[in-house]
Amino acid sequence: MDPIKESLRSFILAEYLLGESPANLTDQTPLRTSGILDSMATLGLVSFVEKTFGVMLDAHETGIDNFDRIEDIAALVARKKLGQ
Amino acid sequence: MIPLGTDLNTSHEELQQAAIDFAKDALGHDMIERDREQAFDRDDWQKCAEFGVQGMPIPQEYGGLGLGILPLIGVMEGLGYGCRDSGLLFSLNAHLWTNSIPILIYGTEEQKTRWLPPLCDGSLVGANGASEPDAGSDIFSMRTRATRRGNEYVLNGAKTFVTNAPVADLFVVYATIDPALGPMGITAFIVERDRPGLNIGKHMEKMGLRTSPMAEVVLEDCIVPIDNRLGREGRGVEIFECSMEWERGCILGSFLGVMRRQLEGCIAHARSRKQFGKAIGKFQSVANRIVDMRVRLDTSRPMVYRIGELKEQNKTAVLEASIAKLYVSEALVQSALDAVQIYGGYGYMTEQEVERDLRDAVAGTLYSGTSEIQRNIIARSLGL
Ligand SMILES: Cc1cc2nc3c(=O)[nH]c(=O)nc-3n(C[C@H](O)[C@H](O)[C@H](O)COP(=O)(O)OP(=O)(O)OC[C@H]3O[C@@H](n4cnc5c(N)ncnc54)[C@H](O)[C@@H]3O)c2cc1C
Repeated sequence: MDPIKESLRSFILAEYLLGESPANLTDQTPLRTSGILDSMATLGLVSFVEKTFGVMLDAHETGIDNFDRIEDIAALVARKKLGQ
Repeated sequence: MIPLGTDLNTSHEELQQAAIDFAKDALGHDMIERDREQAFDRDDWQKCAEFGVQGMPIPQEYGGLGLGILPLIGVMEGLGYGCRDSGLLFSLNAHLWTNSIPILIYGTEEQKTRWLPPLCDGSLVGANGASEPDAGSDIFSMRTRATRRGNEYVLNGAKTFVTNAPVADLFVVYATIDPALGPMGITAFIVERDRPGLNIGKHMEKMGLRTSPMAEVVLEDCIVPIDNRLGREGRGVEIFECSMEWERGCILGSFLGVMRRQLEGCIAHARSRKQFGKAIGKFQSVANRIVDMRVRLDTSRPMVYRIGELKEQNKTAVLEASIAKLYVSEALVQSALDAVQIYGGYGYMTEQEVERDLRDAVAGTLYSGTSEIQRNIIARSLGL
C-alpha cells in the first residue's frame, strides 16, 4: 500500500467524509469536481499535503488536473519529492 | 441599565464603559439628517482612531493597542450600545476585519510596517473588494484577473458592494491568477487608491447603514508590484475566510449593544406610554414582546463571546462564528421589528429613531455570507 495515498485517504475520510464507508473513497474518486471538497476543504488538503510531505505547492499545481483525485495528488507529491 | 453578562472581567468592563461614554459623548450626532443624506463623518472616524478603535487588535509595534479579542468584543458591544451611528460602526468593522487584520496576519514585515500605523491612527480608511456582479455567495467564481508580468501583476475586473470605497485609501482586492484553478487561483492584493487603473464607480444607495458609504470599484489595467501581493499566490481563499471569521464574530459584538439599547428604550416606553388607562407594558402581549427581546439578547451574548474565547486560545471558530452570525443577525432584525411594534405609529416615524435600527439590522443577514450560506456551512459541519 502506497503510504502517501494511505495518508491522504485517512485525512480525507476523517476531515471531510465523516461516517462514510472507506470503500466509497477510491484512488480515482473525484474530490473537487464531485463536491466532496469545497474551497476551504481543498485549501485544507493543500496545507495538509505541504505540512505532511514537506513540499511547497505552486498555485498552478493545485488545479483540477493535478489535484482532484488521490491518485493524482499522490503522483504530484512523489514528483515534488523527487525534484527536491 | 440591563446588566452585563459575566463574560468580561473588571478591567474589560471598565474598557467597555469607557467605550459607552465615548460613543454617547462624541459620536452619532445629527443622525436623522446624515442618514437621509448618506453622509459619512470623517471627523467621527478620526475621533474613533484617537480613542483607539482602529488600533484595538493591532500590536503596539504597528501603532495599535494590542487588545485581545475578548475585550475587543466588549468594546464593540459598548460602541453598539452608545453610538446611534450603526453605519459608522459598520465602516469601522469593514476596515478592521477585512483590511487591517488580513494585512496583520498575512502581510510581510514591510507591508505591516508601511500600512498598519496609518490604518490605526485614522489617516487611512481601509476597504475590501471581493464581491462581483456575478460572484456574490459563490464568491470564488470571481472573474477579476491578475496577470503576472515579471515583477508585477496587472489587475482587470469589477468589484461591487465595496463598503467604504468612496472614502477609502487602501483596498484589499481579490483576483484570480487563472480561472481554471478555481478557488486555488484566488490571490489577494493590497491596492492603493491613487494607483492608476483603480477607479471608484458610482456611489450605491442603501436601505440602511446609510452613513457607511459604498461603491463599485473598477480595475482597468491596474498595475501592482509583486510586493503588494498579500500572502502566497493562490492562497486568497484562506485570507478571505480568515477575514470573514473575524468579521462574523466581532461585528456581532456591536449587535449586542444595539439590542441592549433597543431593549432599554422599549422598557422605558412601555412603562411611560399609557393606553386604556394603564401603561402599555401591563398588556401581556406587549410585555411578552419585550421578554422575547431580552431572551434574544441573553441567548446571543454567550454565542458571541464564545467566538472570542476560542480565538483567544488560537482555536478555529469557523462553525461557532457561522452559528452566531446566523442567530444573532436574525435576532437583531426580529428585535428591531419588535421595537417598532412596541413604539406603535411613533416607531414607524423617522423622528423616533427606532425605524433606522430596523433598516440597519437587515443588512446583517446579508453581508459576510447570507443567513442561507451560514446554514450551508453549519449543515456541512454536520456531515450533510
Ligand atoms: C451592507 C453590505 C455591505 C457589503 N460590503 C461588502 C464589502 O465591503 N466587500 C465585498 O466584497 N462585498 C460586500 N458585500 C456583499 C455581500 O458579501 C454579498 O451581498 C453577499 O455575499 C451575497 O451575495 P449577493 O448579494 O450577490 O447575493 P446572491 O449570492 O445572488 O444571493 C441571492 C439569494 O440567494 C441565496 N443563495 C445563494 N446561493 C445559495 C446557496 N448555495 N444556498 C442557499 N441559498 C443561496 C442567498 O442567500 C440570497 O438569499 C456587502 C453587502 C451588503 C448588503
